[in-house]
Amino acid sequence: MFACIYSRSLAEWRQKRADNSAETGSPLVDLAFTFSPLVEQKSADTVVLDVSGQDLLFGSPNGSSDQVASDTNIAQEIFRQSTVAGLKVNVAVAANVDVAIHAARLIEGVTVIPAGDEPLVIGALSIKQIDHSLAAIEEKRAAEIQETFALWGLRTFGDLARLPLAGVAERLGQEGVRLQKLAQGKSDRRLNLICPPVGFVQSLELEHAISEVEPLSFILSRLLNQLCANLNEYALATNELQLALQLQTKSMHERTLTLPVPMRNHRTLLRLLLFDIEREPPPAPIIAVAITAKPVEPRASQTGLFIPLAPEPEKLEITLARLVKLVGAENVGSPEMLDTHRPDAFRMNRFNLNHRGKRKQQSERNPRSNQQPAIGKRQSVMGFRMFRPAWLAEVKTSSGQPIYIAARAKSFGKLSGRIVRASGPWRGSGDWWRADVWARDEWDMAVIDPKSSEGEVLCRVYRDLTTEQWFVEGVYD
Amino acid sequence: MSALVTKKEVELALVDRFGDIFERHERRAVEILPTGVAEIDDLLLGLPRGAITEIHGPASSGRISLMLSALATATAHEEICAVIDCDDTFDIASAAEAGVDFQRTLWVRCGHSLERAFKAVDLILHGGGFGFIALNLGNVPAQAVRRVISSWWFRFRRAIEDTPTALIVVTPVTAVRSCAALVLELKSERAVWPSTLSLVSENSNSSFTTDNRLSHGHLSLVPKVPLRNDHPAPAHAHFLATMQIVVNRERPVGLRSGTVKFLPRHSPACDIR
Repeated sequence: MFACIYSRSLAEWRQKRADNSAETGSPLVDLAFTFSPLVEQKSADTVVLDVSGQDLLFGSPNGSSDQVASDTNIAQEIFRQSTVAGLKVNVAVAANVDVAIHAARLIEGVTVIPAGDEPLVIGALSIKQIDHSLAAIEEKRAAEIQETFALWGLRTFGDLARLPLAGVAERLGQEGVRLQKLAQGKSDRRLNLICPPVGFVQSLELEHAISEVEPLSFILSRLLNQLCANLNEYALATNELQLALQLQTKSMHERTLTLPVPMRNHRTLLRLLLFDIEREPPPAPIIAVAITAKPVEPRASQTGLFIPLAPEPEKLEITLARLVKLVGAENVGSPEMLDTHRPDAFRMNRFNLNHRGKRKQQSERNPRSNQQPAIGKRQSVMGFRMFRPAWLAEVKTSSGQPIYIAARAKSFGKLSGRIVRASGPWRGSGDWWRADVWARDEWDMAVIDPKSSEGEVLCRVYRDLTTEQWFVEGVYD
Repeated sequence: MSALVTKKEVELALVDRFGDIFERHERRAVEILPTGVAEIDDLLLGLPRGAITEIHGPASSGRISLMLSALATATAHEEICAVIDCDDTFDIASAAEAGVDFQRTLWVRCGHSLERAFKAVDLILHGGGFGFIALNLGNVPAQAVRRVISSWWFRFRRAIEDTPTALIVVTPVTAVRSCAALVLELKSERAVWPSTLSLVSENSNSSFTTDNRLSHGHLSLVPKVPLRNDHPAPAHAHFLATMQIVVNRERPVGLRSGTVKFLPRHSPACDIR
């Protein structure tokens, strides 16, 4: 037996939108899947489901084996659930799919058509309401056939059903035969099944509020386990997790975890979520938890014998999360030089191994970006230890040349002594159009501290031209 | 001699019960990561993987230059690298000039905290997969480095064993002691100051100044204002360094001890436009 659900409100909405395409995610589809896994979505306002074998669930209350009573119960239950969901629907149950569709569309309320009674029920329906798409007839041809029916004086399904088959076939061809079978309720086709909508969302409402991470971890573990199992079932992974925590204060605490590579290992995801929660804990006890995973294709990686070792993405993410917890998010990553002349201008990017393959292509396009490509011909350059922040210094000069320096760091470390050699100044300035304008004269100096056993210390010293103060920027090392 | 005989007899007596546990396992060949400094690679071939290498010396002795060169070479070999920067002194400009690929380099700034630096190294070592890890303690006072408890070094040595990771530790004084497979002690000799012709450029107004006071060495043109993609560090002095190499005899890595001089040079690839 087949049940058809037709929603009048959705039909009106569809007419306004002039959109005949069947949309997934419709409330009708969700409703249908609560009754049967075998569902066909005929259009946005019409779904058909196979309700065979549901007598045990929705059979007649007195236990009799009356098929009609059982079908009536099923239809009424569907109608009741639709009303609860706020949908105005017609429900029809019949042994024939197309009969159920026509009955649901053209007869108000709940209709149950026993097997064999199809011609009686649909015979009185107007022939103008017949769905030509069920007989695979195009609209233009359908209009011609309707004109023919009008010329013949046919007004109902029954009129067409009673015509001789040979005459219809002779005048209208196979299309006419298919239409006549529809009118007789004798069409024979199977449901064009759709997959149930996949939603990678897991949620749980808690009986008691949770204010600590440890009990929350058990909840998250359970939800993530199910979520990853669902992803695994569909051969998918996720690269974004959205955690929504409903708090006792009726507010929401939402966190989004973006992953550099698709994953579906629930242990890894659990650790990352817990690190994130520990870093930014919710301000109030939690009464409900919901996790949404964005499904993506799992990563495919080709390994090789000669590819250098690299951290496993899952392990690397956990390591990075722990490092972030240890030193802060702004202190972990891969640096990127900014395209500016301002000294020590850089940006900290998220450390991501996905860029590895792009490096070679970029260097091929822009040969200047790869400064020293040949490993064997590489030349050592002078390393530099940058003091952040720069050490405030006092510099004595003689005839414009610095001769003595004394500098001390804010925390620890000092540099003082006679300047035995200096080179400079090199003037630089920039960003004069901004509030943080910079202008300075730089010197390279060799300093000898008579109290220290160390030799010459080569340092870079600059004089800030905006404040007229000297600073030690760092040491060549 | 008698003690050796006694030991041999005991081992033979117990061989039926404990199998070959007394047999010395064959030592695997040491894998090497080149440093990129020709003088050092000629002598040592490079830094040992699966072991700790300590680089210590005073300021301006070339420790960071050596570290950057090794880092650049490692990234050029497509290794994934990490720099644990205790005092936030890692200079991006000189690293870029050395050829470090930042997309393969994880930089961890530890905010002047030794404890965080050691914990970060521990996390990265146990995370696995990194080919080169540099712990930069170059700016930490010598007293603080000496006070580091040795269990940290033993822990690192244990974690890095049998992995292809090379861990180098840059310190002002020797600290790793017996846990280091290779100790490189650097001493600065003297600075080499070439006569300098500097380009002073401020926005669009360019002028040249000449400093001929130091006239030994070659004449070099140093662009002060960084070019858009090159960003050369304004290094105007060169220095010589002497390196004393100490190989840990307890954990031999097949390298030789000795002394080497090397000259970190400023990249001559400077053009003025």
